Amino acid sequence: MKRNRRPDGKEKVTGALKYLTDLSFPNMLYGKIARSPFPHARILSISTEKARQLPGVQAIVTHEDIPGLNGFGIVTPDQPVLCKDIVRYVGDAVAAVAADSIDIAKRAIELIDVQYEPLPVLDSTEKALDPSAPFLHPDGNVLHRAGFQKGDIEEAFSKCRAVIEETYHVPRQLHAYMETEGGVIVPEKNGTLTVYVGTQHGFKDRFQLARILGMPESDIRIVSSPMGGSFGGKDELNIQPYGALLALATGRPVKIHQTRQESMRSSIKRHPMAITMKTGVDEAGKLIAHQTVIVADTGAYSTLGPAILDFAVEHAAGPYIIPAVHTQGISVFTNNGVSGEFRGFGGNQITFALEGQIDRLAAAIGMDGLEIRRLNLRREQDAGPLGQRIAETNGALDVFESAAALYREKKSASLQERPWKKIGTGMAVTMHGGGLGFGRMDPAGGRLTLKGNGKIEISFGFEEAGQGILAVIETITTEQLGCAKEDLSIVIGDTAVVPSSGSTTASRGTSMVWHSLQRLKKPFIAQLLKRASLLTGKERLSLGEGGIWSDGEFLLSYKDLACGQAEIVAETEFDFPVSPDPIDSAHFLYTYSGVVVQVEADLLTGKIKVTDLHQTVSAGPMVNEMGFVGQIEGGGVMALGYTLLEDVVMKDSQYVTENLDTYLIPGIMDVPFQLSVEPIEALPEQDHFGPRGVGEIGTVAVAPAIASAIYDALGLQVNQLPVHPETVLKSIEERGVFHGGQSSNSGAS
Amino acid sequence: MEVNHQTAGRAEVLSVSFHLNGELVQVNTSPVARVVDVLRDELDQTGTKLSCGIGRCGACSILVNGKLTVSCLLLAYQLDGASVTTIEGLSGQGEMDPVQEAFLEEGGFQCGYCTPGMVMAVKSLLDSNHEPDQHAIQGALAGNLCRCTGYGGIIRSVQCAAAKRNAVR
Repeated sequence: MKRNRRPDGKEKVTGALKYLTDLSFPNMLYGKIARSPFPHARILSISTEKARQLPGVQAIVTHEDIPGLNGFGIVTPDQPVLCKDIVRYVGDAVAAVAADSIDIAKRAIELIDVQYEPLPVLDSTEKALDPSAPFLHPDGNVLHRAGFQKGDIEEAFSKCRAVIEETYHVPRQLHAYMETEGGVIVPEKNGTLTVYVGTQHGFKDRFQLARILGMPESDIRIVSSPMGGSFGGKDELNIQPYGALLALATGRPVKIHQTRQESMRSSIKRHPMAITMKTGVDEAGKLIAHQTVIVADTGAYSTLGPAILDFAVEHAAGPYIIPAVHTQGISVFTNNGVSGEFRGFGGNQITFALEGQIDRLAAAIGMDGLEIRRLNLRREQDAGPLGQRIAETNGALDVFESAAALYREKKSASLQERPWKKIGTGMAVTMHGGGLGFGRMDPAGGRLTLKGNGKIEISFGFEEAGQGILAVIETITTEQLGCAKEDLSIVIGDTAVVPSSGSTTASRGTSMVWHSLQRLKKPFIAQLLKRASLLTGKERLSLGEGGIWSDGEFLLSYKDLACGQAEIVAETEFDFPVSPDPIDSAHFLYTYSGVVVQVEADLLTGKIKVTDLHQTVSAGPMVNEMGFVGQIEGGGVMALGYTLLEDVVMKDSQYVTENLDTYLIPGIMDVPFQLSVEPIEALPEQDHFGPRGVGEIGTVAVAPAIASAIYDALGLQVNQLPVHPETVLKSIEERGVFHGGQSSNSGAS
Repeated sequence: MEVNHQTAGRAEVLSVSFHLNGELVQVNTSPVARVVDVLRDELDQTGTKLSCGIGRCGACSILVNGKLTVSCLLLAYQLDGASVTTIEGLSGQGEMDPVQEAFLEEGGFQCGYCTPGMVMAVKSLLDSNHEPDQHAIQGALAGNLCRCTGYGGIIRSVQCAAAKRNAVR
């Protein structure tokens, strides 16, 4: 079992690692961003006079100072860098200041006088969709519609033995990366700009910044790694444009590091959604009709809202084979912050609803929750959820059977219930697409170089946000080449030196590193061995630890092989694998998870405690156990928070939760002391897609498994997250669970 | 209240001396400067991290006179005469503390941003409790948030670190 230490580990545990927010440069200034206090308002005037007079203020920029496009957004640049006439959420930026100290910058921000005329606030999707609502964008308040249809849904419903209809509400979740957004932007002597700010796609930041600054991309260098967490949250631009404008205005390095409050106010969040599902089964318990309506609150700007809705639509029927499916989604602009990319990408929301439906149907027809799943889950050769051909694996059933066995074991174990505690067991399954999907530019690539110093340099345009891409690169490269980790030098996260690899998102990193090495190893090894053969006159050579080996004997070090000669380079460019069926946004490589949880419900306080969290994951061969387990455990706990604790509360489109004292992420007391993860590594013999990424799958099916366990414990059918103790208490009181009432222990079984 | 912004920036400067990782340091700083900012910005000791700024997350945890303290809620002048240990002080002479070794071996970190504070909290725990049980571990780390690991790797690291230290003794 590979259980390699991470190459970035020592620097992390000793505190020696310089994050980009740890950097400082000579002559450096500090930047602050002035953001709108109103969720929706017209800007009448912006006066920076007083602020400019404050000693120590070196530059103030407003919309007037943007040389290029005053807009950003990964797909559609509809978010102003600095607002000119309208602000659409409380994080909208109107000015930015560079000063000698943070304190001076802070005071300057207070002295910037912006006159606003408040406009009607659209603080819900209902209000935004009302015909009388003001338009937040020229085309109205609908960002995107998406849908999918197969079979005759009305006819199918008419044949159902039982139909369940329910609306599920899921909250706005904060990424809560421990390192808030920040870094340093440095104007170089030759007129170029170096941006030391974390992101999940350096080249995309370069593209966006070039467009804003009116500079050629070649004059901008993005150093984007390492990051203290991202989870999708730092993929979109955050403070980069402001730091860049200020650095160019002053000719000095500018550091911006947002406080947690500033981060909470400006950052993107997971999309809140209202998901209505109507699902029916026939006499045998076969799912035959499934209708879904998704309404997503996308907030003020586009960013990746459309793709997230597409993803939710795709996964509406998840791993179940249902002949009639009708799915409609709408993503709606509101003044509620900005929703965007977040680990799971719409899958978490839709899976909570879908698995809720399955449990409800099982209860309605008196069928075992495991049986109904086994009966309806996809088989190896079934098409994907949009009818597309996908890489065939038995993942869905594999994770299900593993989880089902554990579920039965947990369920039957006799547990001592105290009078005021109820124990419940629950399970859920899911499938999750990796990569960006059909019809989206999803290029990947990498490069191997034998450097003059004898190091084998492996480079990718990826970023290390904590997910462990460095360890993945080290493990896969040493395995594929046969060299030692000491022979390697890994280069990522710097547009000046790395090849384009696409984004470090969508669970694609691990997969793309493996695919790159499959393409690179042959030509690279061949060139090295050819040179070695010329130098030594020997045959039957191979790469090994430290250098070239022949018949088990060490022959030549990499240093001697490299010495005084040209670098040997192998480079590859390719696209993330997609389905042969041209169905827009459809995925091809899926991962699967089966989750089993046990909860303890406190009848006196309404508090739900997760006491067991187990995840079985099918994602192909595991690259490195420590990284794999870490991603799944960590993802699971993030989802536990989503289920029981986390909600970015907004009132009248203003943030109520402003820091980690009111926005609660799980602490060590909130999680099971022992988490458990089981990888299923088996793939069909013909599969040549290697290890799949597991960055997201651990977050997807935990919420419905906890909901299922709550139902098992209390008979409470959860349709809203997070599950507040108040909701639990109210349900207990209403149904008399505590006072000898019947607790429905039928649950998922 | 009228604020005179001409003078507001020129607050009184205090001279503060303390031992930082065994070395005497002296800083001239504002009376309202936080320890975390002095460490990071003035002394370039950036191992101590800043995340919530309100004492909730523990990323800025340090030891002051041996006691675990969040440095975002402590003002620099309060350090006068104190002995401070930061993450940088745990691996003096290039040798890592067993706690750090354990985090490395057990994967007790991912992004690493909570790690310095977490390591300090574990160090503090193991200094007073050689065989911490579940409750002791949970209690000791309740003030340190980690968003990446789900705490599984951290708990395994604490158990491993305790074993390492006990093996040495």
